[in-house]
Amino acid sequence: MFPLALTNGLVIGIIYALAALGVSLVVGIMNVVNFAHGELYILAGYFSYLFADTLGMHYLAAMLAAVGLVFLLGMVIEVLLIRKTYGNDLYSLILTFILSIVLQNAYLLIFGPYPNKPPNWLKGATNVFGLFYYGNQRLAACGAGLVVIAIVYLMLKKTWFGRMLRATSQDREVAELNGVNTTALNMLSFGFGCALAAAAGVILSPIFPVTPTGGVAVALTAFVVVVLGGMGSFWGCVVGGLVIGLVENFGAAYISSGYRHVFGFIILIVVLLVRPAGLFGNREL
Amino acid sequence: MTVVLLGLLPQGLNVYQQHVMIVSLFYVMMAASWNLLAGYTGQVSFAHAAFAGIGAYTSGILAVKLGLSPWLGIPLGVLCAALVGFGVGLLCLKMGGIYLSLTTLGVSEIFHIIINNEYEITRGTMGLQIPGLLTEYSKTGYYYIMLMAAIISLAVIYLMIHSNLGLNFRAVQNDEKAASSLGVDVIRIRVLAFTVSSALAGLAGGVYGHYLLLITPEIPSLDQQFLVLSMTIIGGMGSFLGPIIGAFTLEILSEYIRSYGEYHVLAFGLVALTMARFAPNGVVGLARAGWAKISAP
Repeated sequence: MFPLALTNGLVIGIIYALAALGVSLVVGIMNVVNFAHGELYILAGYFSYLFADTLGMHYLAAMLAAVGLVFLLGMVIEVLLIRKTYGNDLYSLILTFILSIVLQNAYLLIFGPYPNKPPNWLKGATNVFGLFYYGNQRLAACGAGLVVIAIVYLMLKKTWFGRMLRATSQDREVAELNGVNTTALNMLSFGFGCALAAAAGVILSPIFPVTPTGGVAVALTAFVVVVLGGMGSFWGCVVGGLVIGLVENFGAAYISSGYRHVFGFIILIVVLLVRPAGLFGNREL
Repeated sequence: MTVVLLGLLPQGLNVYQQHVMIVSLFYVMMAASWNLLAGYTGQVSFAHAAFAGIGAYTSGILAVKLGLSPWLGIPLGVLCAALVGFGVGLLCLKMGGIYLSLTTLGVSEIFHIIINNEYEITRGTMGLQIPGLLTEYSKTGYYYIMLMAAIISLAVIYLMIHSNLGLNFRAVQNDEKAASSLGVDVIRIRVLAFTVSSALAGLAGGVYGHYLLLITPEIPSLDQQFLVLSMTIIGGMGSFLGPIIGAFTLEILSEYIRSYGEYHVLAFGLVALTMARFAPNGVVGLARAGWAKISAP
């Protein structure tokens, strides 16, 4: 049981980190919590299902197209809804909460209540150290998650865009004085955060089929990871994802599987009591 | 006068209309108490429906397992909601803002998971059948009980926001640092608002549960939270009348469009989204702006 719980915890943890990365980036740069993060994750799952299954596209092309579409949609959402709320963190939270319920009901209307699942592109299982068999699809998802996380890291540290993002998250006014067009940057970074939700969605939908309300659990986990790690911190996100993944899977294996998500919340509350800004957080909110 | 009107109202209504009025009054209590927290102290809680659930399940379980009368159970449910609210308020006092919202979301989810998992006690999604408040079931009777509860809640809220406390609430919302420098105990104000608001949600949930006779995880769900939030936003957050107007309008409206299928949540969502984006002060805010225009020379 131990090695399986450990593997599950690490694999799921990476995936949690990926799901939380988009939330964390948007919080770090714009101080906006996107409550509809989970619904955008679900949307990407539906898109990749439609493109791959109905239109018969190659799964990789379908995934990229889904992420691209959600990226554009994210920018539209920023322009239409979020832009007006800067300076009032709670209003953006309320707006995106309503948006998430609207999207859930729209999905229910369009796609029906049934779980949808893009075709499995990796079948079979791998023997892990001769101890147990682990699904290839899950291993691949973990690998893909690591690749996306690495790309985001390199983008943040090595590119001009990443430097603008970091500068803006540290001090918006100074960044503006130095020529950063923060209006455009807000739009791009919100779209980018949504695209990361979409990336998690297309990677995971073959494993966890998408349902209209499935985004709630994803968003909740992402929020737990982000708050645990410290809002807006890249490493906080990765470590937070791994901690929550491990805690939930060990709790589920040794205590009770029904309370899987409760263990994550308990760890979060304990950490917040000791460090109100999260593990890697030093920002005052 | 409104009270007298509302008191005489059930005579002229049929059973179905009475039911709609009872449900509306439940939402009035929920929206008004959520508004006390969100609209007056700027703490957006996502656990309000969960506190209604605590009220309903505490009283319901006591009635089913111990045979306790709901007339005793509901006050105990209110106490329970107040205690949990106090605990969550204390937990969140270091954080505030977004952290508070996300933590309340977590609390709400924990509560939901517990109800769904402890099948032996709560009957999970099947719902728990509980006894009513009246020996003889009558809609008119429940109408008066709900009306009394709503009047008590609204009176508590009205007195709070029209006292020195209310000024402190607004000070905390507008500028926390300035308020604390002027001697307002920000943390105490916050925790107090959280506790009172949770207790009132517990009262609403308790009475509502004993009216429905069946309590399900639907009561403490995020969908319910969404309805309460939309009603407050559409009516007008941060005003006393806003949530009352919003709750009546949306509940009565939803009964009318229910015949068109399950589109009403989507429709409300779109209306709430538009209102929140373009008229963040809701109907009351729009009316005030309109009035100012008319009365200005």
